[in-house]
Amino acid sequence: MSIAVKVGQVDLKNPIILASGTCGFGRELSEYMDLSKLGALSSKGLTLLPRDGNQGVRVAETPSGMLNCVGLQNPGVDAFLATELDYMVESGAGVVVNVAGHSNEDYIAMVEKLDPYKDKIDALELNFSCPNVKEGCMVIGSSPKAIEALVSDLRKRTDLPMWIKLTPNVTSIAETAKGAEAGGADAIVAINTMLGMAIDIRTRRPLLHNNTGGLSGPCVKPVALRMVHDIYDAVKIPVVGCGGISTYEDVLEFMIAGASAVELGTITLVHPTRPAEIVEDLAKYCADNGIEELSSLTGTLELWR
Amino acid sequence: MNKEYSVRLVKKEVLGDTCAVLTFSCPEIAEAAKPGQFVNLSCAYFLKRPFGIMCVDKESKTFSVGVRKVGKGTEKIIAAKEGEEFTVLGPLGNGFSFDGVKKLLLIGGGTGIFPIFFATKFAKENGISCQVVNGYRCKNDALLYDQFSCACEQFHVTTDAGDLGVKGNVMAYLETMGDEELADTTCMVVGPGIMMRKVSEWALSKGLTCYVSLEQRMACGIGACLVCVCKIKAEQEGKEFVHKRCCKDGPVFKAEEVIW
Repeated sequence: MSIAVKVGQVDLKNPIILASGTCGFGRELSEYMDLSKLGALSSKGLTLLPRDGNQGVRVAETPSGMLNCVGLQNPGVDAFLATELDYMVESGAGVVVNVAGHSNEDYIAMVEKLDPYKDKIDALELNFSCPNVKEGCMVIGSSPKAIEALVSDLRKRTDLPMWIKLTPNVTSIAETAKGAEAGGADAIVAINTMLGMAIDIRTRRPLLHNNTGGLSGPCVKPVALRMVHDIYDAVKIPVVGCGGISTYEDVLEFMIAGASAVELGTITLVHPTRPAEIVEDLAKYCADNGIEELSSLTGTLELWR
Repeated sequence: MNKEYSVRLVKKEVLGDTCAVLTFSCPEIAEAAKPGQFVNLSCAYFLKRPFGIMCVDKESKTFSVGVRKVGKGTEKIIAAKEGEEFTVLGPLGNGFSFDGVKKLLLIGGGTGIFPIFFATKFAKENGISCQVVNGYRCKNDALLYDQFSCACEQFHVTTDAGDLGVKGNVMAYLETMGDEELADTTCMVVGPGIMMRKVSEWALSKGLTCYVSLEQRMACGIGACLVCVCKIKAEQEGKEFVHKRCCKDGPVFKAEEVIW
């Protein structure tokens, strides 16, 4: 019995990845679980230069989820390489480095900085989908052509596996996924947060001081699942599913829909020990149900005709 | 390894119309908690809610928090019945440092009086000379009045209404304190932002060491998500501020570091 999975060329001991922006670089969550039990960690979204992120209120609770507008607060890629990468490597989990740019040039510069560390990094996750910064990111990630052009440029600069994290805030995520595939991406990660809003009826102002924010948590799961299914149908490269996953049953749903691995994010903010528990639950599920290879579930969805 | 604990509500004392003191059974938090730390407590909604720890009882292995109804989550928590189960993370945050403290001046307002109570008890148990100044709206709002009176011989009260103690806010009392009385004093302040700011300015102008406990809307409470940051003066030249995590780097900060 095995719960190991592959995302393209990347071997993971199980499909559980901590989603970017919900686990820092692993230090805080290492106080709550043995990170080496996880498939991988995806780093906080890195930018070329350090960012303070947005000011004021950055979180609002919603039914079964939350909005955030952190705005990519991070120490910058140089500080990451100096002080955080080795920590992630030593944690024993797979290392996914999330990269967010304001322009094509930003992505190019960061990929060139990260490429020499290929023996320490399992995959780059190109964040074309942060809804909380004004420039870049989601703008690039909304256009299949812009994605294809940038990914094919980056492809020439690194042979590190490139996973493209897509935004759900588009008309057709299948089209943006196809753009990434055409550019030479190794995998699609979907979905990032959905752009949303919450309003204080007394002050008639948005609760978030950035006015809008990214919605995450169990409330987005049905949307994410449908999008993973759409992407799996549209492209041949693997899909990493993300969006509201909170239990091992959720993981199974995403795998059946087409995900080779999954990312857990918002649930970790509520139950910080849950990801490691889900790893154990998956092993038990396979043992109890006579499933030899968990990875055999990927894409086994049978639609009603 | 830290855990998320399942805890039972063993006692609920309703205070006035909007507050309650909730006591939970949890040996680990009762043993480890320090004044100024908080817990992140489940409610009927998605995210946990942070509350400053009001006291611990190592014999009965319990900790208590004071809760004021400010929204739906706190309303549900206050409505809980004794015996109900919650999940909790804690103790969280840095807490107050009592190293080298000679004389304490504790200043509380709003729900800040609950963590101030923990510091008051700590001072008494550790033989630290301590005065407490709590600001209330009126006599009816004077939460934990008897408990503070028992825990501290020098307990002073101000009320906006003037029906108990000195009329005005806490500054009305603090400004009557003489420099000799204040010498070698460390201030710890928990309350509304405007109160902490005014007290900080006063304390720093007197040359006193002053700590404040900041509050922000939180999610994880353990430093992972970065939603609860506050502005702290940057050490790096040419940079005005850094965003520090209220939950992990704080909630207690030195008053002179805070950008209000």
